[in-house]
Amino acid sequence: MTRLLTPSPSDPAVAPTADQLRAQVGRLFGRSLYIRTVDTGSCAACESEIRLLAAPHYDLHRLGFFFTPAPRHADLLMVTGPGTTGMAHALRATHAAMPDPKVVVAVGACALGGVYRQADDLTHGGVTGLLPVDVLIPGCPPSPLALLQGLLVAVGRLAERIEPARFRIEGAEAP
Amino acid sequence: MARWFLRGLRRGVVTTRYPHRPDPEAARVPTPPAFDPARLTGALADQLVAVCPSGALERRGDTLVLDVGACTACQRCLPVAGAAGRPSGVFECAATDRDRLRVAIPIRGQHR
Ligand code: SF4
Ligand code: SF4
Repeated sequence: MTRLLTPSPSDPAVAPTADQLRAQVGRLFGRSLYIRTVDTGSCAACESEIRLLAAPHYDLHRLGFFFTPAPRHADLLMVTGPGTTGMAHALRATHAAMPDPKVVVAVGACALGGVYRQADDLTHGGVTGLLPVDVLIPGCPPSPLALLQGLLVAVGRLAERIEPARFRIEGAEAP
Repeated sequence: MARWFLRGLRRGVVTTRYPHRPDPEAARVPTPPAFDPARLTGALADQLVAVCPSGALERRGDTLVLDVGACTACQRCLPVAGAAGRPSGVFECAATDRDRLRVAIPIRGQHR
């Protein structure tokens, strides 16, 4: 029987591994997945690209993704911004309010710890230290296509395509 | 959904076929750089590290580490790199592990 409520991931003894979680989320919500977004101090460009996902050109609804304003209805949490200290509590509370199983996607260089590199009084230097992040989407901001790929990776419908060889130019003639 | 699609076709508006087909617009998206290890010298690597405003480049001995997670694809490193660099064209950068975004590029160039 499918268990709709998994043990809370905060209990390491019974928590599902990230891969199990993704497989479960893909099976349960592969074509009907609700997204809640939280902005932890982004410049709003990441948010704007996320909004574009619902525009006719990208139309993420055709892939079974929907936005919801209610954390209680959300299966996936998209977090932007460097994790400002003022938003840390709201972020954790949103995450806690979401039913299990849930997936966290960090969006943009800020959230990945790229722009504000160190934690200080104002930011946590990214959100990876605040929440268990399942999928990271680089970019400043990531294009809607990059976001789509990240969402599909999060539900196990696409494979990761990040390969070191793609950032090396091999086989060029010697200078 | 099909009705929307057909109406869109009639009016000349087509939703992207991604991920089932590549999206032609993807070519216009700024992407992180790719570097040529054979043209990358130690001195050039140091210049690249110095010019990157995001701290996405780091020199570790004979390796230049590109942190795709920190790179903002601003492309300020490309004029400095000259023939040793170009946009990678990789926009599908999602990863499930932060360390997978740190890409090692060997420094194999002998001189400039
Ligand atoms: S990653 Fe870039 S676009 Fe996104 S919030 Fe940070 S500065 Fe803005
Ligand atoms: S594109 Fe910009 S952020 Fe990325 S490595 Fe080059 S200089 Fe750094």
